[in-house]
Amino acid sequence: MDITTVLIIVAVLAFVGWLIAQYNKLVRMNVAVDEAFAQIEVQLQRRADLIPNLVETVKGYAAHEKEALESVVNARARATAAQGVHDVAEADGMLTQALRGLLAVSEAYPDLKASANFSQLQEELAATENKVSFARQFYNDSVRVLNQAIVTIPGNFFKGIAKVVAREFYEVEDPTNRQAPKVNF
Amino acid sequence: MASFRNQQAVNRRKTWLLLGSMFSLIAFVVYAIALYFGEVGFSIVPIAVIIALVSVWGSYWASDKIVLSMTGAKVITENDHPQLYNLVHEIVIASGLPMPKIAIVNDAAPNAFATGRDPEHAVIAFTTGLLEKMDREQVQGVVAHELAHVANRDTLVSAVAATTAGALALMSDLLIRMMWFGGARRSNNSGGNPLVLIAALLALILAPIAASLLKSAISRKREALADATAVAYTRNPAGLRRALETLAADSTVVNQRSTAVAHVWIESPLDAKAAARLFATHPPIEERIALLRQMENGQL
Repeated sequence: MDITTVLIIVAVLAFVGWLIAQYNKLVRMNVAVDEAFAQIEVQLQRRADLIPNLVETVKGYAAHEKEALESVVNARARATAAQGVHDVAEADGMLTQALRGLLAVSEAYPDLKASANFSQLQEELAATENKVSFARQFYNDSVRVLNQAIVTIPGNFFKGIAKVVAREFYEVEDPTNRQAPKVNF
Repeated sequence: MASFRNQQAVNRRKTWLLLGSMFSLIAFVVYAIALYFGEVGFSIVPIAVIIALVSVWGSYWASDKIVLSMTGAKVITENDHPQLYNLVHEIVIASGLPMPKIAIVNDAAPNAFATGRDPEHAVIAFTTGLLEKMDREQVQGVVAHELAHVANRDTLVSAVAATTAGALALMSDLLIRMMWFGGARRSNNSGGNPLVLIAALLALILAPIAASLLKSAISRKREALADATAVAYTRNPAGLRRALETLAADSTVVNQRSTAVAHVWIESPLDAKAAARLFATHPPIEERIALLRQMENGQL
């Protein structure tokens, strides 16, 4: 075997390696988006699990705030039933809104605010709300990286073979939700 | 939108540039050694590199355990401090990193650090003083800064810088000794010229100083990078900015003033005036605050 043959074999192997790497990169990005969406759902589930306890606690002190309580319960029911990026995002936005309303009315009840259970719930809710926001942000960043990769070289050559398509951003309807997560209940 | 990404890109580029300068410096010194000392001196090079590698990489590999025991930090669980655990978990979600170990140092001075050889072995620690003096938003900024160090692999970067600087210091030390004992005269070329001798001696004395300057410069760039990455996670420059303001206003300094672990803290525990600015491991805190404020106002 002379030196040219060796060089050609090396070049071909390097090219095949590069092809595989590009393919894998796109597939990995696509999986990362799925994982990021799963993380949003985990955090939304955690928030939904906190709500019955919150509703009970608020009822104990402010039972006649029916409207705020009901809208939280309804929004929670919708959120747990939602499927797909668009519906989940919409239901998420409604629940965030309803929770904010409930916490705003509870400001008027000093006994409620003073109860140990409520302040513990508040920390849990603040943390979960932040986690939901950060999970959304991480998901959208992953989508941005993927969507950018498949329209630029060399990703655009590989998207067909890797069966990767542009993914949907997670957009919450409420414009205040687009701001940086800054929850200080 | 592009502000913190800009900052991240600039500081990453500068790190590579500085690491490149360090390697060029080593190449220059090795070349000078080969030229001046011949084979005898050249045999020093692998010895110095191996000693530096072994000493630095041992402590890099076990950095989580070593720093924890040197600072007396206690690893905590979720139940010990639910809010801190929540705050760390929030940034873990924002960054996509694995959950690090969380530790608390019993010290009244507000400070924090991150260590560990890779994200899987990361430890982030906070002093009790920091947790008492800062509100939720501020601690979130600090957590993001520390996890940014983890994500940017700064333990690795500083280990590479320390190895390079250490190898240079060893080389020059060994060679100055060799010259002292007349090793140079035994080499075959230009051994007798006093001017060349002086030039060689100067290079040997200055190279390690230059290397340690570069090492500090790299550390400062990594701090600036961690600030920018922290904003990428929280999208809230105000939290970290207010945290740094609290650190700047606070006059208490972490009890252990060991230089060995000084670089790991978010605020340098060493007196800024005592250590010359060029050798500082951190950019001046006022500068960091000003940069974050510009990010808040969207001026960057």
